[in-house]
Amino acid sequence: MAVELSPPRRVSTWHFVRLKLRVLGNNFRGQGRRIALFLVGVMVALWFAAGGFLLFASPGIADEIGYAGMAAAFGGGLLVLGWLLVPLVFFGVDETLDPARFALLPLSRRTLVTGLFAAALVSVPVVATVVAVAGLVLSAALLGGPVAAVVAVVGAVGGVLLCVAASRAVTSAFATMLRSRRVRDLAAVLLAVVAASLGPLQIGVTAALRDADWDRLRGVAAVVGWTPLGAPWTAAFDVADGRAWAAPVKLLITAAGIGLLLWWWSRSLESAMVGAASAGSARPVKEVTGGAVTQLFPRLLGRLPRNRFGALVARECRYWWRDARRRAGLITIAVVGVFVPVMVNLTGGGFSMSPEGDLSGAGDSSPALVTSSMVFVGVLASVTLANQFGYDGSAYAANVVAGVRGRLELYARMTAFSLYVVPLLAVVSVVIAVVLGEPGWIGLTAGTLLATYGCGLAVNTMISVLGAYSLPETSNPFAMNTGAGMTRGLLVFLSMVVVAIAGVPMVVAAALLGAGWLWLALPVGVAYGLGAALLGAYLAGDLLDRRQPELLTAVTPRR
Amino acid sequence: MTDQHPALVLRGLAKRFDQKVAVNGVDLDVPAGSFYGLLGPNGAGKTTTLSMAVGLLRPDHGQAWVLGQDVWGDPVRAKALLGVMPDGVRLFDRLSGAELLAYHGLLRGMDPAVVDRRAAELLDVLALTDAGRTLVVDYSAGMKKKIGLACALLHGPRLLVLDEPFEAVDPVSAALIRDILHRYVVGGGTVVFSSHVMEVVERLCSHVAILADGVIKRVGTLDQVRGDRSLEQVFVEVVGGRTATGEELAWLSN
Repeated sequence: MAVELSPPRRVSTWHFVRLKLRVLGNNFRGQGRRIALFLVGVMVALWFAAGGFLLFASPGIADEIGYAGMAAAFGGGLLVLGWLLVPLVFFGVDETLDPARFALLPLSRRTLVTGLFAAALVSVPVVATVVAVAGLVLSAALLGGPVAAVVAVVGAVGGVLLCVAASRAVTSAFATMLRSRRVRDLAAVLLAVVAASLGPLQIGVTAALRDADWDRLRGVAAVVGWTPLGAPWTAAFDVADGRAWAAPVKLLITAAGIGLLLWWWSRSLESAMVGAASAGSARPVKEVTGGAVTQLFPRLLGRLPRNRFGALVARECRYWWRDARRRAGLITIAVVGVFVPVMVNLTGGGFSMSPEGDLSGAGDSSPALVTSSMVFVGVLASVTLANQFGYDGSAYAANVVAGVRGRLELYARMTAFSLYVVPLLAVVSVVIAVVLGEPGWIGLTAGTLLATYGCGLAVNTMISVLGAYSLPETSNPFAMNTGAGMTRGLLVFLSMVVVAIAGVPMVVAAALLGAGWLWLALPVGVAYGLGAALLGAYLAGDLLDRRQPELLTAVTPRR
Repeated sequence: MTDQHPALVLRGLAKRFDQKVAVNGVDLDVPAGSFYGLLGPNGAGKTTTLSMAVGLLRPDHGQAWVLGQDVWGDPVRAKALLGVMPDGVRLFDRLSGAELLAYHGLLRGMDPAVVDRRAAELLDVLALTDAGRTLVVDYSAGMKKKIGLACALLHGPRLLVLDEPFEAVDPVSAALIRDILHRYVVGGGTVVFSSHVMEVVERLCSHVAILADGVIKRVGTLDQVRGDRSLEQVFVEVVGGRTATGEELAWLSN
């Protein structure tokens, strides 16, 4: 019998796109709840997209070419930064097509990267972004006629590609870093770098904002326009403004940016594929000391009781450090928790009505503003727990089989997470107060943080019991299952809104009460947070007792 | 007093996933002190049945009792009598073997000193002591099975429910596991395990049930079920299906 040895047919990008659509479709089959969630997500995305569209289109409608360039540079730049950072901090990336699944197929790196890239473009956020930047095209058409419009279309397409490439490359690279054996050192280094960069950053930002005026902003916008952040969006307005020569250069910058990002992505993709095949080689085996129980408890927690509660806390503590996904969450809290309040308070002060804001930053901020930024940090810290059972996956079966009571389980989980986060929050509150030059505000910052964090524990614990979903068993800590992105986004959003509302009393108190609040904030905040957390665990624990098997099913990955 | 009850009783257990009926009314009586094999082809509903029997998966219909305790009515008391090794379920594998055993022991409310002693003994017997602080995630498949078994045994349960305990286990480890289970049953414990490896079942079990398409097709003592034939013959006959290829797949032999 003759063996057919016809050359294999070429795998085109289209295959990947079809595969993604098929996986998405199959995922919805017979799942009314998922379809509903998806539709809600689409509505939310379109709502934001419409807002972005108006923002980008309004300078064109108002015939203000100067503002159009600025809106394009800053708005577009923020868009790219958002694509870059949001997946890292909040949402993760949709790994419907997990690169590791392609490891055994004879595909060239080029085919794989372009294919996965094309598949990544098939998503709701991309559609929303396209809708938003269509506003730019309209603006450009109104201001500069058909030529500018064509440039705007090319630029917008390039910009969207840049956004997606950036988010893929960065999450993939970050995932590779977190997988490596040296990650503990890396995390420490990362934190140290951020901490060290705070000083110069603060001085730089304050100096830049000291005499912030329109000319200055225009200058900044022009500079941003020449970076990959702004180039794709501003090219059309250069045409409209009579600088046609700039457009091709800017489009070239965009193309180069996309190329570089894809190249970077392909590098880390390869390691992701190999890494998944041998998930973790043996680590250096250390000398075993003490009995099994002694080994379970981290040395710092030696005084935990040797009972169910102690075992749960000890295991959770080990997991927050040993599980890449969880550790990524902790690192995010550490980095963003310090970074964002500093930025908000310094820039917030800069835009306020103080014409000669001084270099130290003191007096630029207000108790209410500081409190608001602390609320944000508290919200962010606790939202990590929104899918705490999802981290465990099917391993949670051990607790179900052992018949662990719901309240005990939740108290232990809160305790373990807080053992990491509360010291972190303490550091954040001190750093913020010191950076702002208001050491007297430590009570205020710490009190607000703990109050919001406590409320966040309560809300997110409840969400983790009711809205758990499974995470894929890959080594990428940012990966999510198909469709889970929408669920996760909505849950995170919901939790953040509710927790933020719970934190509002602290902001109101800071705004209304005078200097006395600076001292009252700490005890009040601690009591508020602790009370909320205990109440949350009490209520959610009851629910957990009744829902244990359902929860286990929800977090077990489908195969 | 619980000894007067059968070790495990299932009545009318049923479970449907979306459109597919996975288990369609399973009744089973496992006498105390028996070595019970649950046989079935892939996808027969073995894992689903056992999951419902031990409180991991809520059945659509039916009930389960462990030594007279209602699994779904009073889960905590029933689970205290049970040792379970699920299949296709991860362990808390970012712990080392010793840590994992300590966790399970304390979770079962055991005295820490007893946990230490038994954990050391189990690790030693199962040849896992050399692994030291290696995380369970880095264990080989056979080692994972062994540590899973150790976790299920640690608190000295009266009933052991094991899902595919011999899957992916090398012959030496399999012999070791057989020996441990044998001693456990001789000592008065009851073992229920699922498998599709006939020879293991024939060698170990006092009782057998054959499950296919979500229902029990044959049940009884080993001799009742197999009669004067081999268990494999009975199994193939009950389950049906094709066991040889015909004209197709000619390209395989090129």
